[in-house]
Parts: sequence; structure tokens; C-alpha cells
Amino acid sequence: MRRIRAQARKELTQIIRDWRTFSLALVLPMVLLLLMSTALSLTPSRLPIIVQDLDDSAASRHFIDAFRASNTFHVVAWPTDRQPEQAFMSNVADAAIIIPEHFGRDMARGSDTPVQLLIDASDANTAKLIAGYSQQITRAHNQGNSPYEQPVQAAIRLWYNPGRSSRKFFGPGIFVLGLSMFPPLLASLAMAKEGEQKTILQVYVSNISAHEFLLGKIVAFMVVALAECLLMLVWLFTYFGLNFAGDPTPFLIATVLYAFCVASFGTMVGAAIPSQVAAIQAVAFGGFLLVFLLSGLMFPIDNIPSGIRWISNLIWGRYYIEIVRDALLEGGGWPATWYKVAIIPAIGLVFYGIAWRTMRRMQLSI
Amino acid sequence: MSIFNYRIRALIRKELGQIRRDRRLAFSLILPPTLQLLLLGFALSANVENVKLGAIDYSRTPESRELIARLSESRSFRLVSYYDSVNELGDAISRNEVDAGMVIPYDLARDLQRGRPVTVQFLLNAMNANTAAIAQGYAEGVIQSYNAVLPAEGLRASFRRIRAVDLSRTGRIQLHPNFLYNPGLRDSWFIVTGVFGLLLILNSSLVAAGAMVREREAGTIEQLLMSPASTWEIVIAKITPLFVLLFLMAILATVIMKLAFAVPFHGRLPLVLSGAALCILSGISIGTVNATVSRTAQQAQLMAFFINPPINATAGAFNPVEAMPAWLQPVTVINPIHHFAVIARSSMLKGSGFGELWPNFLGLFLITLVLGTVSIWRFRKQLG
Repeated sequence: MRRIRAQARKELTQIIRDWRTFSLALVLPMVLLLLMSTALSLTPSRLPIIVQDLDDSAASRHFIDAFRASNTFHVVAWPTDRQPEQAFMSNVADAAIIIPEHFGRDMARGSDTPVQLLIDASDANTAKLIAGYSQQITRAHNQGNSPYEQPVQAAIRLWYNPGRSSRKFFGPGIFVLGLSMFPPLLASLAMAKEGEQKTILQVYVSNISAHEFLLGKIVAFMVVALAECLLMLVWLFTYFGLNFAGDPTPFLIATVLYAFCVASFGTMVGAAIPSQVAAIQAVAFGGFLLVFLLSGLMFPIDNIPSGIRWISNLIWGRYYIEIVRDALLEGGGWPATWYKVAIIPAIGLVFYGIAWRTMRRMQLSI
Repeated sequence: MSIFNYRIRALIRKELGQIRRDRRLAFSLILPPTLQLLLLGFALSANVENVKLGAIDYSRTPESRELIARLSESRSFRLVSYYDSVNELGDAISRNEVDAGMVIPYDLARDLQRGRPVTVQFLLNAMNANTAAIAQGYAEGVIQSYNAVLPAEGLRASFRRIRAVDLSRTGRIQLHPNFLYNPGLRDSWFIVTGVFGLLLILNSSLVAAGAMVREREAGTIEQLLMSPASTWEIVIAKITPLFVLLFLMAILATVIMKLAFAVPFHGRLPLVLSGAALCILSGISIGTVNATVSRTAQQAQLMAFFINPPINATAGAFNPVEAMPAWLQPVTVINPIHHFAVIARSSMLKGSGFGELWPNFLGLFLITLVLGTVSIWRFRKQLG
């Protein structure tokens, strides 16, 4: 126990001494949390659209005003004699509404009038949102003109995130990304450095056992992870306006276990790859790319082609993201998350086991 | 050929020889970008399909079953199960068993017969703002198409007779959306054309930082300094072979985009490739600046963590710039990935030419110029 504590203290001292590793551990995650969770939003506002009003009647202007009034769209001026495609090609607008001649006359006669909506679908997701939003506006406009036209109406309630704030969705995800990336990065560096600078030989000749050595490292980087976690939670609770939605105990327990899991991952990488530069690349791949891509951070896991979707079952970050989102948004508590809380230490123990085996092998081969 | 004099040629030969012997470099310029492009293109999709739906049918009539059938027939929703009470449905949503719930009131059929409007409640898990917005659009669309079909069932007829017979009716607007350039609404086209620029900047900055810091780490930088070559010549000789290698990587990436993702090439390829060349140069400049503040390769790589994630996040490579907060949108003007993403997307998907894209070329050119100047200035200062 004493030896584990001494080992952990040595690691922490080394991190604090170098401003690069220190700010990597505590400052950069905060900056990235703020930057990425707001910048990666998928739901745009003030989308530029152009209107070509070939009718120019009171009815058509009334219809256009409905679009002007919405927050989602931003009507940009565009001459009627120029093709709307040119606006798309030069990225002036993302959509064009074309109101035909005799629009006002047909409306007054009570016949249904087609209006064309051209959408630049080079961004498929935004195109779908534009189609959905403009249908909503049109429906509301029709409803206002002649109520009681629609026998069945939908009343839609948005749960957990009624403002549809993407910050609240991405905040927890980026929080997990930061935890999955920086503590293991530092752990792998510390471990690979021992191999690269051959200070590991001193460890071999000392009477510290492989378990004590590894645990000392892991405890140190768990402390780093938990400190980082604490700082980021302050952000989430203040700027992101999040709070515990239900029972916080699954989250608290999972956080400690996740800290163990990522610290073991970094230690394992560092033990297996005794080169700092290569270890950084390995952690960047495992901690960043896999967690970013395959854990449902930004896009739903269901959309991943089934050929590679199964990999996401092995990604530790995926379970923790679901726990964090549950704790901060849904509030499902233990019934919704217990098995996820159990999987995290299991994956962590696998990492620890591999790290321990590598250590023992190295010891025997010398 | 005055700039490419014998000194530069000799230096370039030395760099090429070092690169040739460094198997890892060539490897790292082929495998990781290929993998990243494929993984990002296939795994990142915002598509909303088969939203898991739970239903409460208090009405239990042909009309209500017809409504449920309409929802689950569309590829947008998939009926997972029925529930008996709102509490049960709420629990199912919180356990993520279903993403959406529909509550059909018990008086649906009766009210429709009597000509009273009926409200059907939808509960959507809005945790993911984007999915919720699109699912909301789907739900309203299905209800609307249900309303449109009602006359055929004889219900709407009675509905209108009772309710709207004497109203002077104004016409209804029917909005017809047409999706241009990507009628199949494939997400991957947007992602890969954005990730293309991201990979160029990421890899060129990492490779350049590695190459620049190597002389310093090995202590051979003094020898270069002692040679009759000027700083300019040293820098050009260092950059040229890297540039050629990275440009080959860019060509490889375009081949992957064409073959694996079937991205259409409506515009002129030389236009995209010249944008890629500028992008690579600005990436090399970023890497060079990084190398001048780092003493070892390990430090340079750590520094890259402070540089690359912020650039990548604010580039609009994965998402539209309009979705970023207003204070962040102007910052994209100084982001090389952003300009290149606009060039690649507009040219490849829409066939835009230089006439439309010159502002982005100008932006990219200015960024490259500023970064290049800074990097050479830093490099000279370091040598002096």
C-alpha cells in the first residue's frame, strides 16, 4: 500500500511539473468541452433561403411573411430573373421557395395551390430539416387560413430536452470524450517513457511487484481523471444548464469505475508500446477516434453499417456515454443502467490484465 | 530554374533519401487516412430511420389501427410494442426501449364521425436534438397523409359536411420539396467531402512537425546551418518532398471518395486538387510552427492536441456552419478546413466553378500565405 502511494505521488508530481501535460490534463478538456459541444451541433438556425415570388400578391406576401417570422429561416434577397441553382452553387442560400403566378387568385377561389421548394441536398441532414420545418410553417399557415380543415392533429411533446438544445446532448458526450482521451494519453506517456528511457530497469531491480507498480500508476491517473471530471461537471452544471435528472448513484459509481478503465487502457498501451510517439498515436486512435465514432456521441449507433456496428459493443466509452446521458437527461436510474455500470470495470480489468502480462513478460525476458 | 539550384536539389535528395528509408512515414500516409476516411464516412450518419415507436391505443377501432399502420408502414417509424398506460410508455422511453410514443384517445373514431377534430399525442425522446427535429417532421407528415386519405374512407366526407360546409374556404398551399444534387439524401457525401480537408490538415501538420523537429532532436540542425544553403533553401527543400507525398495522399483520398462512396464529380477535378494543394501547404505551415515551439517529437505531438481538435471542431466538416453558435460562425473564416470543405463540396456535388468559389480560394490562399510566412519567420528565428 505504501509503495502504491509513493508510486502514485511520483506520477502526479511529474505531471504537474510539465506545463504541457498539466494543461493537457486539466485546461484543454475544459476548452474542448465548451468548443466542441457548441460547435458540433447539427440543428441549424437562420438558414439562408431565397424566395422567388412570381405572383407578388397579398396572399403570397402573407405566406412569405410566415417564413420571415421564423427563427429557422433567414430570407436572402435574390432577383427573380436569376436561376435559384446559381444561389446554391455559390452557397448564398440552402433552399428556394418558388411561388407560381396566379397563386393569390387560386387561393381565393379555394383550390389547392402547389408551391415548389427547392432544397440544396448536398447536406442531406440539413435538407431533411429544411423540408420538415417548411412543412410545419406551411401547415400552420394553412391552419390559420382555414381552421377545422385537419380532422386529426398531432400534439407533440418533447421529453428530456424540450428546447431541443443540442448543447445538452453533446455536452455529456464531449465530457466522456475528454475523459476517454486525456487521462489515458498521459498514462500511456508515463508508461512508455519508463520503457523508452529505460527507467523501467530500476523498477525491475527494486522490490516493488508488478501489481503495485501498475496500481500506483493507475491510481495516479484515476486521480487525474476524477479531477478533470470534477472540473468539467462544473461546466455542465453551470453553462450547459444540466442537473441530475434522477438517482445520481449509478453515475457516481460508474465515474470512478470509468476512471479506472481509462487509466488501465493508457497504462496497457504504454506497457505494450515502449515508444512515446507511437503510444500517443495508439491512444489517439483508441481514445479519440473509436470513442468519437462508435459510441453514439454525435450520430446514433443504429446508423453505423452492421458490418462494423458490433465493434461499438466493445467500446468502453459507449456505455459510459449512455450512463451520463441517463443521469443528466433521462433519469432512468439503476433499472436503466445497471448492466452498463457492470460492463465498464469488466473492460477495465481486461486492460489491466493485458498490462500486467506485458509487465511480467518484460521482467522475465531481462 | 534559379530557385531550384544545385544546393536545393542536393538538399531535396537528402530529404527524399531520409523519407525513403523511413518506412513508417510512407505507411502512415497511406493506411491511417484511408481508414479514417472509410470509418468516418460509413460510421457518421445523421440519418433518422426506423424510430422505435410504442403505441397506446385507447380507441381500439379500425380507424386507430389504420393510423398506427400508417406510421409503421413508413420507413420512418417501426412499431415495437403496445402499452396499456402512459406510465408504462414513459418508463419504456426512459429505458430507451422506444424513442417515440403515440397516445390515441378513446374517442378518436367517434369524434371523427361527429366531425370534431381529434388530437393524437406524440411523446418524443428529444435528448438528441437533431433526431427529435426530424422525427417530429415525420410524425406530422404521417398525420397529414392520414388526413388526406380519410375522405376515401368516408369519414372525412362526413367531417367536412358537418364542420366546414358553409365556410367560404380558401385554398390550401401544398409544398412540394425537391432535393437537388443529392436526391437519394446520402449523408456520406457531406461527411467525406468535409473529412477530406480535415485529413489533409491533420496529416500534413503532423508529418511536417515530425520532419522539422527531427533535425533538432538529432542535433543535426547545426550542420544544416553551417552549410552554404540559406534558410529559404533549407525550408523549400524540406517542404517539397513532403508536399509531393501529401499530394499523392490527397489523390488517394479522392479515389476512395469516388470508389467507396460514389461521390459524384460534377465540377472540375483540377479545381479541387488545387484547393487541396493550398490546404496541404497551410497544414505544413501549421506543423512547422508547432515544430519551432517543441524540442522533441513527443512534445510536438502533444502540442498537436492543442491545435488540431479545436480546428477540426470549428470547421464545419461534420455539420453545417449555420448550426454553430453565432459567435463562432465568423471564426470559420480563418479555418483552412472550412474553406476547403466548401470548395470540395460545391465543386464535386454541385459543379460550382472558380467563378462561384473564388472567395474561398482567396481565403485559403491568404491563410496559407500568413501561416507560411509565420512558419518561415519562426524557423529562421530558431536558426539564428
